[in-house]
Amino acid sequence: MRGRPNAALVIGGALVGLVVLAALTSFVWTPHDPTYVDAAGKLREPGDGYLLGADKFGRDTLSQLMVGARTTLYVGIVAVGVAALIGTPLGVVAGMAPRSQGWLSELIMRLNDLVFAFPALLLAVMLAAVYGAGTLTAMAAIGVATVPAFARVARAATMQVMVTDYILAARAAGRRRTAIAVRHVLPNIGSVLIVQASVSFAIAILAEAALSFLGFGTRPPTPSWGRMLQESQELLFSTPRLALWPGLAVALAVLGFNLLGDGLRDHLDPRLRRVRAEG
Amino acid sequence: MRRIVTWIALGGLLLSTAACGGGSRGTGGTGAGESLAVGFVAEPANLDFTSTEGAAIPQALLVNVYEGLVKLGQDGTVQPLLAEKWDVSPDRRTYTFTLRDNVTFSSGAPFTADDVVFSLDRVRTDWKLKIKAQLDVIDKVEKKDDSTAVVTLKRPSNGFLYSMATRLGAMFSRTGVSDLANKPVGTGPYVLASWKRGDSIRLEAAQKYWGAKPSLTAVTLKYFKDATAMNNALLTGGIDVISSVQAPESLRQFADPGRFETVEGTTNGEVVLSMNNGRPPFDDKKVRQAVRHAIDHKALLDTAWAGRGQLIGSMVPPTDPWYEDRTGDRPYDVAKARALLGGKTYTVKMRIPNLPYAVAAAQVVKSQLAQVGITADIEPLEFPARWLDVVFKQGDYHMSIINHVEPRDMGIFADKSYYFRYDNPEFGKLLASADQGSEQQQADDLKKAAKLLSDDAAADWLFLFPNLIVAKKGVTGLPKNGISESFDFTGLAKQ
Repeated sequence: MRGRPNAALVIGGALVGLVVLAALTSFVWTPHDPTYVDAAGKLREPGDGYLLGADKFGRDTLSQLMVGARTTLYVGIVAVGVAALIGTPLGVVAGMAPRSQGWLSELIMRLNDLVFAFPALLLAVMLAAVYGAGTLTAMAAIGVATVPAFARVARAATMQVMVTDYILAARAAGRRRTAIAVRHVLPNIGSVLIVQASVSFAIAILAEAALSFLGFGTRPPTPSWGRMLQESQELLFSTPRLALWPGLAVALAVLGFNLLGDGLRDHLDPRLRRVRAEG
Repeated sequence: MRRIVTWIALGGLLLSTAACGGGSRGTGGTGAGESLAVGFVAEPANLDFTSTEGAAIPQALLVNVYEGLVKLGQDGTVQPLLAEKWDVSPDRRTYTFTLRDNVTFSSGAPFTADDVVFSLDRVRTDWKLKIKAQLDVIDKVEKKDDSTAVVTLKRPSNGFLYSMATRLGAMFSRTGVSDLANKPVGTGPYVLASWKRGDSIRLEAAQKYWGAKPSLTAVTLKYFKDATAMNNALLTGGIDVISSVQAPESLRQFADPGRFETVEGTTNGEVVLSMNNGRPPFDDKKVRQAVRHAIDHKALLDTAWAGRGQLIGSMVPPTDPWYEDRTGDRPYDVAKARALLGGKTYTVKMRIPNLPYAVAAAQVVKSQLAQVGITADIEPLEFPARWLDVVFKQGDYHMSIINHVEPRDMGIFADKSYYFRYDNPEFGKLLASADQGSEQQQADDLKKAAKLLSDDAAADWLFLFPNLIVAKKGVTGLPKNGISESFDFTGLAKQ
C-alpha cells in the first residue's frame, strides 16, 4: 500500500484537474464569446458548434462554463490564500505559546470563535451592502470567514509538534521561537494545512456559487456558475439543461476538492499509513 | 470527514435545483371561497404614502382603502368616486365638487367637505414627496356646504384633475392621521386587518361602505422577494394571483388554460436607460444619440424580457392621449453610432438596481455598446436603499436602468436636479404651456415635448414594462392595463 495513491486522491485529482484545465483553456480559447448577446440564437439547442446549447441571451453555455471555472478557481485561490495567510500564523502563535502565556492562546482562539460565529454568507452579504457586490468582496468575506478553520487546525497541529523531541532539542540549543516556528513547526504541520486548504476550497466554491446566485457575488455579465443557475431558474421547467450544467459543474468541483482533501489526508498522514500497512 | 463530503456534494446538487425548493406556502387563500391571496414583489416600508416614496404603498391602499374625489378608469379617463360630479368654471380655474352622501370613514366619522379641505391643505403642509409639487397649482380649497367643496387654481391646469386621481387626491379623515404609517383610515371598500411585516398585508371588506360591496370578504397581499418563489406559490396554491410576473420566460409554466389565466396589457412603466447628462461622456448629445443607435431594442426585449412589453422611444406610454410612436427616431444602426462617436472609445459605470429586469437588460446593453466602443461596467446596487442613495440622490453614475412607474411622469425631465441632470429650458416651457392650454394644445405640446426628449437623447427608452398578471382560473376583474398607481381589488371576484 505504501506510496500508492488511494482512490479518493485519484478521483479528486482528476475532477480538480478537469476544472483547472477548463479554466486555463478559457484564457486562450473558448468556442464562442461567453458574454456576446445573440438574440437570433436565443435558447439554441445543443449542436452546430454549440455543444451544450445557448441560454436566453444566446450565449454559449460551454464557453460560460469554462470562464465560470476560471471565476470559481480565482475566488477559491484568493479566499483560501487569505485564510491561510492570516489563520496559520495565528494558530501557530497560539499553539506555541508557553504555559505562562496561556492568555495569549486563549485570546486568539476566543477571537477566532467570534469570527467563526458569523457564517461566510452573512459576512459576504454585509460586506456587499457596505462596499457593493463584487468578486472582491465575496473573496474577502469567504476568506475572512475561513480564517478560524485554519487557525484551529494550525494550533492543534502545532501543539502536537511542540511536544516532540526535536523541538525540545531545538529549544535546548537555544533557538529562538520564530526560528523554531519557521524551521521546525511549519514544515511539520504543512500536510495538515494542505488538507485543510483543499476542504476550504470546496466550501469557498460553494459559497461563491451561492453568493452569485443571490446576486451578491460576481458581477454580471462575467460568467459564474452561481449566476448561471440563478438565470436559469425561470427556465427550469422549459429548458432544464441550463440549470443542469452549472449545477453539475458546482457539484463536481466541490466533490473533487473534498475527495482530494480526503485523499491527501490519507496519503500524507503517517499514522494512518502505518495502520493500513499493518492491517 | 466523509459525512461532510456527502453533505457538501448534496448541497451543490441542492443549489442546482434550488428553484424547485424555493416555494413558500401562503397563508392566504385558505379561508372561505370569498377571499383571495395576491402575490406582489415589493413590500411597503410603511403604510404612509404622504411621507414615504415608493410605489408599493399606493399600489396596496389607493382605491382599496383610501379613496379620492375622482379615480382613474381603465380607459385612462378621470371618473367620479367620492365626488358625484364636478363643475369647472369658464376660466378653468374653479372646480366645484359635489360630494356623495352617506360616506363614512372606517373610523365611523362622516366624510364631509371639511375633510376635503383638510386633505388637500395637508398635501402642501405635511406631505414630503417630490410629486406633491403637482398640486402646487392649487390656490385655495374651501367648503361651500357639507357636501360641496370648491378648489381654486392659480392658473388653468390640465393636469390638476388627473393628479387628483393619484395618491395626491386621497381623502383623509381629520381624526385619522395620527398614525398613518400603521393605521390607515379611509373611506374605501376595504380596511386594513393585519400586517405581518416581511410577509403579508390582509385587507378585509369594510363593515359599512357607501358603494357596491366588493364580492370578496378579504384580500391578502403576499410579498415575495423572489420571482421563482412567487411562481411556485401560485403553482402550489399558496396564492391565487401573481400581480406582476417578474420572470416572463417562466410563463410557459402557466400555459394550461384549464388551470390558469394570463392577462397581458400595458403599464405606465417606462424602462429607462438613464444617462447622466451632467457628466462626461454623456454631457455630449452626440454620445447619447450614439447610444440610442447602438442598441437593438427588439433584440433586447426578446432576450431580456421574453419579448413581453412594447417598444416606445420616448417617455409617453401608449395609453396616454398624446402618445406617438417614436421608435423610428433613432433606429438600430451600428455604423451611425460609430460615426457619431467619431472613433472615440469610452468606459462608463452602469449602476443598476439589483432587480430582475435591470440585471437582464444591462447585460444586453453592455454587449451591444461594446460593439461601438463603449465599455459599460455593470455594478448592481441593492434596491431600494443603496440605488436610491447613490444614483437617484447623489447622481453618482454614468448609466442606469430603472422602470419609471409613475403615471404621466414626463415632467421629471423638466427638473434639472433630477438624476438625469437633463437641462433644456425649451422642454420646461412646452410642459408649462401644455398644462395651461386647451386640451388640443396640451396634446400638441406634449407630443413636441416627447419628440424633444427623443431628439436630445435625454435618455434611452428600452421598453414599456408589460402588465403581466397570471391568476388561477375563475378569478375575474383583473385590470388589463396597469395604468393607475393602485392595484384595484374592488372589482375582483372568484367564481
